[in-house]
Amino acid sequence: MFWEKEIETISSSDLKKLQLIKLHHTIEKAKKSDYYKKILKKTKISTLKDIESLPFTSKQDLRDHFPYGLLAEDLTESVRLHSSSGTTGNPTVVFHTKEDIELWADLVARCMYMTGVRKHDVFQNTMGYGLFTGGLGFHYGAEKLGMLTIPVGPGNSKRQIWFMQQFSTTAVHILPSYAIHLYSSFQELSLDPKKDTRLKTAFIGAEPHTNALRVQIENLYGIKAYNSYGLSEMCGPGVAFECPQQNGMHIWEDHFYVEIIDPKTGQILPDGEEGELVLTTLKRSAMPLIRYRTRDLTRIINEPCLCGRTHRRIERIKGRSDDMLIINGVNIFPMQIEQTVMQFPGVGNNYRIEILKENHMDRINVLIEVHEEIFNGTLSKLDQLKNQIIEALKSECGVTPKVKLVEPESLPINEGKAVRVFDMRRNEEE
Amino acid sequence: MADHLSIFLENKPGKLEKVTHVLADANINIHFISVASLGEFGVIKTIVDKPDIAHKALKEHHFTVSQKKILIAAIDDRPGNLHELLALFSENDINIEDCYGFPIKEQGKVGIVIEADAYPKIETVLASHHIHCIDLNEIT
Repeated sequence: MFWEKEIETISSSDLKKLQLIKLHHTIEKAKKSDYYKKILKKTKISTLKDIESLPFTSKQDLRDHFPYGLLAEDLTESVRLHSSSGTTGNPTVVFHTKEDIELWADLVARCMYMTGVRKHDVFQNTMGYGLFTGGLGFHYGAEKLGMLTIPVGPGNSKRQIWFMQQFSTTAVHILPSYAIHLYSSFQELSLDPKKDTRLKTAFIGAEPHTNALRVQIENLYGIKAYNSYGLSEMCGPGVAFECPQQNGMHIWEDHFYVEIIDPKTGQILPDGEEGELVLTTLKRSAMPLIRYRTRDLTRIINEPCLCGRTHRRIERIKGRSDDMLIINGVNIFPMQIEQTVMQFPGVGNNYRIEILKENHMDRINVLIEVHEEIFNGTLSKLDQLKNQIIEALKSECGVTPKVKLVEPESLPINEGKAVRVFDMRRNEEE
Repeated sequence: MADHLSIFLENKPGKLEKVTHVLADANINIHFISVASLGEFGVIKTIVDKPDIAHKALKEHHFTVSQKKILIAAIDDRPGNLHELLALFSENDINIEDCYGFPIKEQGKVGIVIEADAYPKIETVLASHHIHCIDLNEIT
């Protein structure tokens, strides 16, 4: 039932005691970083509530103090870094000590174990490996749990299905949109995942999705799908996870101190009210973060859970309090896309970027009006420009866009809108 | 001497007709027209009697137009002659962007339209080999 029963079912008062001890450690540790040194100089914490007197830490703070400003350990103690996508602006970089990686793996193992997967299961990881934490986080967790782990990585649906069949995969980690997309590949091969695979569990996450989509995935594959929440600033996946009740995600309060705030005023909101999730790391060494604004909107469910775990739950993520886009699981800011497109001479302001769903997967469409600055009369030059933009965006965002060259005056006039990135995905779902 | 007008167009029904409509309204005579497409978009190339006026009219109608100088070399209509002309370019390292030909019946010659970037080198090469370049009005 439990990976670590004592901690998962800890009483509220014991949890608070534990959190206070860990918070002291975290603050002392954080003071070793250039960034927190000044901020936390006179900080005295005697109760958990005292944390409310500390300032928030934002993604911008991480960017402004790139690359080592928040590093609280000697760099030689770090064994890994993970980073957000792209190089526009400063990416957010997170460091891990060996201990951080071990604690993270244990946390992900706890999450997976909770859903019922065990050592004899065969786990196929279809998430991206690399700087993105989704792939490696689950990989380490699955190995810690003792499952046979197949690090297939993303894409190549036929190969995914081949592995699932050859090695009797029972559990997968998959983007919800890719799960739907992959089902159509099963159909093309005249296969039915219900009959032709041994799948029983899917861990879905890295992009916002509705309960309806989860149910659809469960029905198509004849499996249970569990929602996963995490962010690289905290470690990666493993921050919160669904138990077999599938009603909200237990957020591991022995690792993170949880607050919900009004994103506009910064005011702390009571349990049950929707707001922005703010997290303080309680166990991280290389890069402790205090009152980190996740920008994810959710609410806390504090009623006891039938599974017996005492850690409170958060509801599935409702959205963001900033303009961050999640494209096939990759976090991207509109500015990254804009700056990449605008670096091409002559493109100027004559462009529009659309994010939409195509065949259940996210796609970036870049529409560029062809004006004389970029037209010398030859097709080859246009084709070259098109390919250069595709390559540049691929390297910045990790997503291959579709570039469409259009005639002048064919794009709608921007009414003083600074941002030319249009997310059309929500409209389609409604 | 003549000009190519290249027009950027999306590859959609009715697009070409919009171009000919503008040219017809401006009383422009089209001598040659060709379409090259890359799927979703393409480039129309045309030789017209009044390129400057045509260019202006198209721009006024928000088309993206590029005007480029071309040469029309008049060569004898007999086997191997085009090859000799092209060999000349090749020897002199001249790259051809676009090239096509048409018969000039009454003279027993062929006009070879050449779009290249290597001016005036290309003209010097042609002149030194006594290849005559014709004006549009010589043939229309």
